[in-house]
Amino acid sequence: MALSLSEILPIAAPKVRRQIWSVGGGKGGIGKSLLTASVGWQLARMGRRVVLVDADLGGANLHTCLGLPTPQRTLADFIQRRVPGIEDVLSEAGAPGLRLISGASDLLSAANIKHAQKLRVMNHVRTLDVDVVLIDLGAGTSFNILDFFLLSDVSILAVVPEPTSIENGYRFIKSALYRRLRAAAPHERVRQLIDAALDPRSDAGLKTPLDLLARVEAEDREAAETLRREMRAFQPRFIVNEVREAADEAIGHQLVAACARHLGLRATYAGFVHHDDAVWRAVRRRRLFMVDAPTSRVAEEVRQLTRGLLKGESLGPGY
Amino acid sequence: MAEDLYAVLGLEPRASREQIERAYRFSIGLYGEGALGTYSLLEPSEAEAQRLRVREAYEVLIDPEKRRRYDEGEGFLPPDAPVLPFPGPPSSGKERVELPERLTGPDLRRMREARGMSLRQIATVTKIGMRYLEYIEGDRFDFLPPAVYLRGFLQEYAKQLGLDPRGVAGAYMSRLP
Repeated sequence: MALSLSEILPIAAPKVRRQIWSVGGGKGGIGKSLLTASVGWQLARMGRRVVLVDADLGGANLHTCLGLPTPQRTLADFIQRRVPGIEDVLSEAGAPGLRLISGASDLLSAANIKHAQKLRVMNHVRTLDVDVVLIDLGAGTSFNILDFFLLSDVSILAVVPEPTSIENGYRFIKSALYRRLRAAAPHERVRQLIDAALDPRSDAGLKTPLDLLARVEAEDREAAETLRREMRAFQPRFIVNEVREAADEAIGHQLVAACARHLGLRATYAGFVHHDDAVWRAVRRRRLFMVDAPTSRVAEEVRQLTRGLLKGESLGPGY
Repeated sequence: MAEDLYAVLGLEPRASREQIERAYRFSIGLYGEGALGTYSLLEPSEAEAQRLRVREAYEVLIDPEKRRRYDEGEGFLPPDAPVLPFPGPPSSGKERVELPERLTGPDLRRMREARGMSLRQIATVTKIGMRYLEYIEGDRFDFLPPAVYLRGFLQEYAKQLGLDPRGVAGAYMSRLP
């Protein structure tokens, strides 16, 4: 029997590949949820089908940022198998093209969901037939959060221009990187060295990923090459939120330079968003500022940021 | 780590004096006492050591004679040595863009977009205000700065696009009222 053309020719690849973006930051209260909500809203405005996932399982509030009532169904229903599919916990999010999977606020133990459950969430999220899945990771550097971050196509790290936030940002990056390296480590000895690098009390002298790399290189060149490959592929994208003055904008450039020079990482600076009272005024009105104050500077900055993230562009080196 | 002096400042070896100045100011800020970007990453003594290295690198690279000797000693080609293209299949090379006699703002924008560059990128690197770049691309002559400044802006802009700076400035400014 002759084959028809469509059986011989490969099926055309979809124009827009499904992408998973995640927003982490280590510290709470730095505007991750609002960033996630506004970038997601803007992506939907630009014609993408977007699903926002509130993975802040302890303190879900993405729906509040969007001005929505507490959703009927949440991720908890999916995790506890009260509904069969991840599609069953999708809810409308107040704009065409935008849907929300709400966090599991009613589930006390949800912040510590088991590995298998996490994988199930991730696998199901990946099957969603949409353009972008945007995950709000919530605060902290638990394995769950790091794994969502590492499994994303675009890994976004939000910071605000404050010492505590920057410190947490670096901790987040190092934790994520070492977790990635550990997963790729070819044998036990390399894993031991990574654990020593992770332990601040260790006296192994492995303060940075570059120290670690040098040590592994001295013992096993092939393993070092593996780690180096993983480091190159790890490219977190910084967003500086709550900028108040010009020097704050430059912090993103400093972070990128410090990551390159002292951690050996190719991070990039996706953009910044100013502090603006329009944001909290909108939150009080239970509306997203993109809707409530579309002509505000912050709304324009979110539009620029979203374009940049979509095109993979970043801000220059800062000098 | 035995980095070269350019790497200490985060520069390419062909960097211009202006780039060296900017990179120096940036690096001094980066390792400044309590600088947000590094204070939690480096011990105060490490930051101090970095500042020292940055200053040493700057002092050599900003002095033309010292830089020449350094480049020669390390085997770097001098910064004004021409960049030669790799041999490639004939006629595929678009090394030289033939500029038309007159260039409009929208022409510039098309060329910029074809290179996948955003206005913000150009603004960030050149330090030219976004507003002016928008006026230039929008042909909003009434809002453009005086000719001497405009010429400089256009040349910087052209450089970022890898175009002939003088040619671009001339072709754009020939249309001014």
